[in-house]
Amino acid sequence: MSKTITTAFTPLAVAVATALAAGTPVTPVSAAETNWAGFVENATYHRKDVGLSKFRNTAQAEFETRFETDSLRSLTLNGTLRGTYDGVYDMNDDEFGKDARYDYLGQDWHDPDLSSPTILTSGVPFPCENDPTLCNNLDGYMDQDENDAKYPEFNDQLDFIRELYLTGDKKLANGDIVSFRLGKQQVVWGKTDLFRVLDVMNPVDYSRHNIYDELEDIRIPQWMLKLDWRMGANQVFDDSNLSLVWNFDKFRPNNLGTCGQSYRIVDAGCFFSSSLNESYLDLVTDSMGMGTNVYSANVPIIHDVEEPEWSLANTQLGLKWEGVYGDATFSLNALTYRQQMPSLHFRPIAPGAPAPAPDGVFDIKFPRVNLLGGAVDYYSMNMDAVWRVELAYSEGEEQPRDLNGHKETDMLRYVIGFDKNLVIPQLGTRSAFLISTQLFGEHILDHEADMPNDEDNWIATALFKGFYMNNRLSPQVIVAHDFAAAATVVAPSISFTPDNHWMFNLGLNIKDGGDETFPWSVAQGQSVYEPLARFTNGPIGVANAEDEIQLTVRYSF
Amino acid sequence: MLKKSLLSIALSAAVMGSVQAAAVSDEIIQESFYPYADGVPSFPGLEVGMTIDQSNVEQFKDVLDPAMYMFVKEGATTVKVGPTTDFALHDSYVEATRQYSGDVTIGEGHGEISKTVAGRPFPQEPSLDDPRAGEKLAWNYKYGYNWGDSAAIMPFYWTMRDMESGKKERTIKMNFHFLNFTHRTQQEPYPEITPNPSELFRAIYVQVLEPFDVKNTQLLIHRFEDDTKVDNAYLYLGFQRRVRRLSSGQTTDAFLGTDVMIEDFEGYNGRISDMKWTYKGTKYLLMPMYNHDEMTLDTETHQDEDGYQVIAFGGKGGCFPEITYQLRKVYVVESEPVDQNHPISKRQHYMDAQTFIIPRNITYDRKGEMWKSWTIGQAHPDHHLPVNKGTGVAIDDSFTMIDVQAQHCTTGQFKGIVDPKLSPVDKFTVQNMRASGN
Repeated sequence: MSKTITTAFTPLAVAVATALAAGTPVTPVSAAETNWAGFVENATYHRKDVGLSKFRNTAQAEFETRFETDSLRSLTLNGTLRGTYDGVYDMNDDEFGKDARYDYLGQDWHDPDLSSPTILTSGVPFPCENDPTLCNNLDGYMDQDENDAKYPEFNDQLDFIRELYLTGDKKLANGDIVSFRLGKQQVVWGKTDLFRVLDVMNPVDYSRHNIYDELEDIRIPQWMLKLDWRMGANQVFDDSNLSLVWNFDKFRPNNLGTCGQSYRIVDAGCFFSSSLNESYLDLVTDSMGMGTNVYSANVPIIHDVEEPEWSLANTQLGLKWEGVYGDATFSLNALTYRQQMPSLHFRPIAPGAPAPAPDGVFDIKFPRVNLLGGAVDYYSMNMDAVWRVELAYSEGEEQPRDLNGHKETDMLRYVIGFDKNLVIPQLGTRSAFLISTQLFGEHILDHEADMPNDEDNWIATALFKGFYMNNRLSPQVIVAHDFAAAATVVAPSISFTPDNHWMFNLGLNIKDGGDETFPWSVAQGQSVYEPLARFTNGPIGVANAEDEIQLTVRYSF
Repeated sequence: MLKKSLLSIALSAAVMGSVQAAAVSDEIIQESFYPYADGVPSFPGLEVGMTIDQSNVEQFKDVLDPAMYMFVKEGATTVKVGPTTDFALHDSYVEATRQYSGDVTIGEGHGEISKTVAGRPFPQEPSLDDPRAGEKLAWNYKYGYNWGDSAAIMPFYWTMRDMESGKKERTIKMNFHFLNFTHRTQQEPYPEITPNPSELFRAIYVQVLEPFDVKNTQLLIHRFEDDTKVDNAYLYLGFQRRVRRLSSGQTTDAFLGTDVMIEDFEGYNGRISDMKWTYKGTKYLLMPMYNHDEMTLDTETHQDEDGYQVIAFGGKGGCFPEITYQLRKVYVVESEPVDQNHPISKRQHYMDAQTFIIPRNITYDRKGEMWKSWTIGQAHPDHHLPVNKGTGVAIDDSFTMIDVQAQHCTTGQFKGIVDPKLSPVDKFTVQNMRASGN
């Protein structure tokens, strides 16, 4: 049970609220009460042939303070604090951490036969603890040290403050309501599970558990201002709302996991900390008649990370109009933001100079993206089911390609979802099973043959969840299949909630596929795994060796 | 009388030009709304202050419904007898009935009714000779005064209990809000809230406060004036931070794992057209209706600055509210699902004739065997919170849903508040769910 506290925290809450509300027309406030809730949790995962892959211990506390004020109808301060220690880096340091070593790039994904080992070195785990040059090149992105992985929230961005925001609303004379939410927060758009089409306001930390944790736990909260104009019902719509979101935080990209971490989506972290082999480059330059002494060392794949500095022009802005019309709820969305996935730009070199440049092959950039989209869900009486459709069209994104590292292209992403609740007495419960399926599609409008991603690709997902013992026992299975990667993940689990405090969840995460190769021009056009096929095989395929059994124990208060 | 007259004028003005109805006679009004004006019912040997238990239950079998009789007979609970009291509804609702229900007719199709404005649509005494009497009584329930035009339960404790061991498994703390968009009689505006483009009749909004794993779950149900149209239901899950549409399958599912379906709320929370309704007769039965301030209260579960405490529970497994029951005029109505895939075969509803609330229900499974017993204790508004005094609302005050097959129950403890400020229209919007979610 949560606790109501009205003592020592109150002055602090008022101070924070006052600071956040500076500049807003709010009269002096007094705190009424503060409610606290939270949990402590241990997540222990064991990976086949690897051993312990996660021993994450989390403490999370959430509070809400309501204030009394005459100028607003309501005013609250919300905060979420989280601290994590992942013991896997101490308990399985042969596999993960600064002392882990990999024989070749992609060792956790594929065998060495088609790995381009003579061209690319293996990734350097935690480069800032092992290779100062790489650390310098990756400065600002994917450059965590081991302690950053052990204690991911305790960093310069103060991520232990997951959320801290002030919310207020005021009723206008015509009955409309205007509201604001100011502070570090998550803003969620769209109607899709597991994948993000419109839900791109916050970047995501995939290093926590690839794509499999709840997005609520892996979105990286940003300092934002959200303004809503709730117009309510009119002669046409049952509900209508206009929402403006200004992300004024310094840009942060998705965290893909540093080499040496136990989860690194598409193994990007190790690719970014790998290098072109000097011996290979010597052979090439010699064959070109340029001599063998052009390169004095391996050439890092990444030369620099160009993260946008904070400036007004680099902030991000979104607009959403949503409402309810009959049996449909809808939204129209527009957003100008930064691509959260890194884009590799081949570094320009002087005519006649050797390629690549001796101090690094690519720079990482995060281009500006403009997005238009919308979402609709509709309840079908005849099918007694809900259909969801979500669509986003973007311009400015950059997709990986063999030539030059990237190409700017417009993108179309969409999801069609179908949800139904069905009672199946044969399965021994009177509770309805939740059946939810989705088809996530992606279309690259300016596709090129040397792009490792297909022009069109789809990922299908299915969730089947049941409830027994008054919902305290809940088995479920999630299946996802990536068509281009020919990769599948099956994740059955069962959770048991004996009372208001304890929760136990036991699950498996089994993957298959990830065997697609892609021709790489540097390897004389051979179809190989490295480096481009990581994009073809995607987050499911590249993690094909990460079969796990997972136990989570949580105590809530 | 002056107050009534002014109210009548106001109601007439509000709907002038829309409906011209024949007035209902005073005799029908009196019989329908004031059944105890000429005296309270009695039963041989039954006295106020006595307790019915295993030793004397056979003597009083005729004033107990089958489930209550079974529970007392097997010693799971006892029934304390209180005085029969007048739960007079608000004058505005009675006057609306007088003015607008004179020519209300049942439609040709199942779940159809002629245009109604407000009040009890069929105040006449039901007849066993009328094949659609059950349906008319169901309409009286649907358009009943119930919680009035709006109300809130803040907070509302639901506890899941193992009936055999008495172990409390989970307690969920929630807020419930109710709002009538149409058929309003007492809170401005009446008779309806506009604009209302989809012609909503009523909305229910639920927000879960505790425990942590379901905190911030929100449920919004929109029921339409057109009874043949399926409710729109929306669910906000705190961990997903977005609103999901619900298919109707979830309205017959265990709500948050409790023994209660969304369809069970308030005695029946569905469309008239979802059921075939049959009037089985009028009885005088002991109903869970009482004065809150005279009951045994639970000193642990809830404390607040009002000094309010919720009803205590006892009996087998702690599954029975510690309240008194009073002998009242009851209409016995059966509802059978039209959908053959519905998880139940029928419900027996025991509708209180004066208020048209449903304090007792018995639910039967697909095999026709008794599955669940529903009790919702009704507190008199003049013996409850000061804000409720004079509202004419029979306050939902305690409930238990007992799964007699699984020997499991979910109990409910209320703080019911009839105050329009707690349930503004914007609370019943999808956008409010997003705004209230954290």
